[in-house]
Amino acid sequence: MKLTRVSKDQFSLQLGGREKSLLLELLRLYPRVPSNYLAVSKMRNLPDSNTSQKLLDDALAEQRADNKRQLQALMDNPGRWSENQSGFQLALSATEIDWLLQVLNDIRIGSWLILGSPEERFEVVNPETAPHLWAMETAGLFQMYLLHALQSAG
Amino acid sequence: MPELLPGLEQEAEDKPRSGLEPGYLVICWNDPVNLMEFVTHVFQQVFGWPRPKAEFHMLQVHEQGKSVLIRESLEKAEHYVHQLQKYSLHATMERDS
Repeated sequence: MKLTRVSKDQFSLQLGGREKSLLLELLRLYPRVPSNYLAVSKMRNLPDSNTSQKLLDDALAEQRADNKRQLQALMDNPGRWSENQSGFQLALSATEIDWLLQVLNDIRIGSWLILGSPEERFEVVNPETAPHLWAMETAGLFQMYLLHALQSAG
Repeated sequence: MPELLPGLEQEAEDKPRSGLEPGYLVICWNDPVNLMEFVTHVFQQVFGWPRPKAEFHMLQVHEQGKSVLIRESLEKAEHYVHQLQKYSLHATMERDS
């Protein structure tokens, strides 16, 4: 994936055919982070921790539902992808790139959790762990592409 | 300076803070999985910080295990934690003691 053009907050990203398939395959995994993973407070010293936690859980659940809808629209809309000699062009706004980064990070973190939250580099690759390791690393790779695209546009 | 009766000073300290008082810290905690570039990006997006400030806090998280990002009222701290967690960052709010 590489940035080919930026104009009026519109980023054109070039993907090879295989890259496009990988990205779509990866995005189908969303959401991966369990809904009870994130706590609002570590020390639980808030005036009403339960209410604060519920507010957070509700906000994140709503966010996930929105993300799923947007993701479906991105995957189902052939107009978002224009085919050319080198593969496909995907046009995204800066806001959409930011949103895609959120989605990819959910997949990365969720895969890491499935792998048992390893502290160091994960090295036990077997048929059971390989798909999750693939998802974690590939999500990170696409995140880096998108972050570089945003940075190179200034 | 008038001398406080024993217990009064403690009582003043224990009095619940108003939700509007900036007595809550928004903290980001380190983990081995979030990419450094991504964390910098999220801090810029959520707080509108310039890149050097975002990088400073990202490095603090990475090297010291956590960074206090902002001190705010209860409602605003909740808002920021929600925003950071939207990106799956390990962020919490804690009462400033």
